Amino acid sequence: MAAGGALSLPLAFLLPLLTALVVFLLGARRAPWLPGIGALATVAAVADAVRHVAAHGPQAYHLGGWMPPLGVELYADGLAALMLAMTAAVGLAVTAYAGPYLHDGHHHQEAERFWPLWLVQWAALNGTFLAADLFNLYIMLELVTLTAVPLVAITGDRASLGAAMRYLLLALLASLAYLLGVALLYGGTGTLHLRQVGELVGAGGPAAVAAALITAGLLLKGAIFPLHTWLVPAHSNAPAPASAVLSALVVQAGVYLVLRLWLWTFPALLSPAVGWLLGGLGAASVLYGSLQALRQSRLKPVIAYSTVAQLGYPLLLLPLAAVPAAAAQAWQGAAYYIVAHGLAKAGAFLAAGNIRYSLGHDRLAGLRGIAPELSVSVLALGLAFVSLMGLPPTAGFLAKWQLLSGALGGGQWPWAAVIVLGGLLAAGYGLRVLAMALAAAPSDEPVRRPPQRLPRRMVAVPLLLALAVYLLGVSAVPALRLLEQGAPEALG
Amino acid sequence: MIDRAFDLLLIGGMLGLAVQVVASRALFRSVVLFIALGLLMAVVWARLAAPDLALAEAAIGAGLTGALLLAAYRALQPAGEAGDAEPAALPRRWALVAAVLSGALVAAIGWAVLGLEPPAASAGREALARLGESGVKSPITAVLLSFRAVDTLAEVVVLFAAFLGARVVAEPLGRAGPGPRPDPAGGEPVLMPLLLRVTVPMGVLVAGYLLWSGGHQPGGAFQAGAVLAALGVLLRLTGRLQPVAETSPAERLALVGGIVLFSAIGLAGAGMASAVLAYPEGWAYTLILLIETGLTLAIALPLTLLFSGSAGLRWRGR
Repeated sequence: MAAGGALSLPLAFLLPLLTALVVFLLGARRAPWLPGIGALATVAAVADAVRHVAAHGPQAYHLGGWMPPLGVELYADGLAALMLAMTAAVGLAVTAYAGPYLHDGHHHQEAERFWPLWLVQWAALNGTFLAADLFNLYIMLELVTLTAVPLVAITGDRASLGAAMRYLLLALLASLAYLLGVALLYGGTGTLHLRQVGELVGAGGPAAVAAALITAGLLLKGAIFPLHTWLVPAHSNAPAPASAVLSALVVQAGVYLVLRLWLWTFPALLSPAVGWLLGGLGAASVLYGSLQALRQSRLKPVIAYSTVAQLGYPLLLLPLAAVPAAAAQAWQGAAYYIVAHGLAKAGAFLAAGNIRYSLGHDRLAGLRGIAPELSVSVLALGLAFVSLMGLPPTAGFLAKWQLLSGALGGGQWPWAAVIVLGGLLAAGYGLRVLAMALAAAPSDEPVRRPPQRLPRRMVAVPLLLALAVYLLGVSAVPALRLLEQGAPEALG
Repeated sequence: MIDRAFDLLLIGGMLGLAVQVVASRALFRSVVLFIALGLLMAVVWARLAAPDLALAEAAIGAGLTGALLLAAYRALQPAGEAGDAEPAALPRRWALVAAVLSGALVAAIGWAVLGLEPPAASAGREALARLGESGVKSPITAVLLSFRAVDTLAEVVVLFAAFLGARVVAEPLGRAGPGPRPDPAGGEPVLMPLLLRVTVPMGVLVAGYLLWSGGHQPGGAFQAGAVLAALGVLLRLTGRLQPVAETSPAERLALVGGIVLFSAIGLAGAGMASAVLAYPEGWAYTLILLIETGLTLAIALPLTLLFSGSAGLRWRGR
């Protein structure tokens, strides 16, 4: 019996969990510094895990010292390490932002509830990225869902309660579909370990039914067209820090698992037709989400529809993975896309939160003339949108470039067309928002309510997130080298 | 022969009840039939030689879920009106679509299950073979607290998250829980105090026995917690436990103490034993019993509070 692998893998799950429990025990009002300490400890554990993966290759930690199939394995390869790191960056930012956002005197009750929920969610997200066991993944996904739904409802008004209820029902349906698939896989293979199942499952009928159930569940959790209907009301009615983690992390965990399971567990089932089906859903998400984002009249729904659109891109890897000339670049592009979108989207939602906090609304028509007062927040929003459009020198550009050159190199021009069109549409909805924000105040406007002053930390955090997107766009080599650790064999 | 007939009766009963739960036009009727379905399901688990699941299904699936559904049904009634608040029936067209889709799903899964070939080796068989290494004699407890301890840890956190979630939505709705509580000092049936005086100590005894027996036979923290929660429901309904808006420090400790203890012992395993969530040589049984005791409270209290619809409870005797 030996654990093997770095201790920081279980710590990435246990540290935020323990912080959440102690915060609940003491009460957030009595220990306002505790979430910050827990966040820093989690970031340190994640940094150690990333360092191990970069230096020594993929890490496997056997909990309790039991080898699979008997025990549960935590497994970090380059992709998982990258997801952990992105989650740590967004998590640290949200923790720093939520402090002043919630402790301003109006949100006492919300603060007491937000911290345990968010910290448990962080633990469960890390668990989702690390789990190498299908049933352990089910529980982690369940935890992510059951903390995400209350985060949507936390303001307690009618709109957010309705959105949370719809989210809860659909997400539980998705969990059930996933669990049915897992039960079928265990019945056929006698193991729950991701790669062991992949070796034993084959490409027969039962495997196909299981894969279909699991994928349907994950696509619903990942809000991929046409299963996206719950996302926009949920993400646009949540408070700003919650919107940021929901859009940047929670739904992306679903998309991450679609890639993880199809490339590691079901590669035998990934025929060209299945690849085209999943890629087609991704493409439909890209186009539908972008078109809807163009039609919104409020800022937060624009960003939420942009999430629907951006989540589609990583799925384009699945039809490209089988094309030898396209696979390697598409793999890098898809993985980098999730990271770029996570950071940019968290920055965008927090900047939008600042605008709403300051003005008391987020109607696009009412944004005229805000640029002088909210210059830094508008700048952060603009920088984040530039990455979502895929313009250089951002991480979003690099990810799109890799996907695009993969698609063109493999002669897969329909996917290339989707990528280019999606970028153009993103430019459309991004510039529409920025044009409003940068316009001069209409001269005939009646006296406006003076904007509320923003705490300095809330101004800085979205800007730092946006700058991180540029840093990853300028210097991509470390992240791309990390991705090579344990890259899937199924490619090409 | 008799067995076969009994099984057919069970299957027929399950299907019939399930259809009525879905098809019934009265919500109350659906709830009651759903509770009956849970009890029948417990018998099915017993027939499949899974007594642990049978116990859990009867206590949680039928008992507590039933109590929660009834409390929710009550909260749906418009205030001050006696009439039934029935949800609008689904249009026939949509019901047909849903039926066809579910039918196709059941057919696909059934076809897949019939096509499954049993694997040569399985995690379950390995667990049985290596039971001796776990330190406990019950295979279920070995899987839950040793081989796959992280799943159990996360499951109890799921309950905690459910409690947090319920607190978020209960307040704006303001109508959670089983409604106006009788004051035990006022009028209540003569036999009630006597009944409680017998039931409550017996319940605590049963919970303690189930907890202890988990080490070598069916039982354990989930079943013991469910029995304690059932007692909590009883005391809440008879007004001995009154709902309050604040969670007291002792309640906070009961809600998360078991999880903290489990995580701490798990972390200590990295230094004292071979890995996180491993137990030091010779200590497995003691530590598992300690963890299960903490988890029993961490399971019983959120379930009781979910039913009560309140953040906390306060004792109010006669």
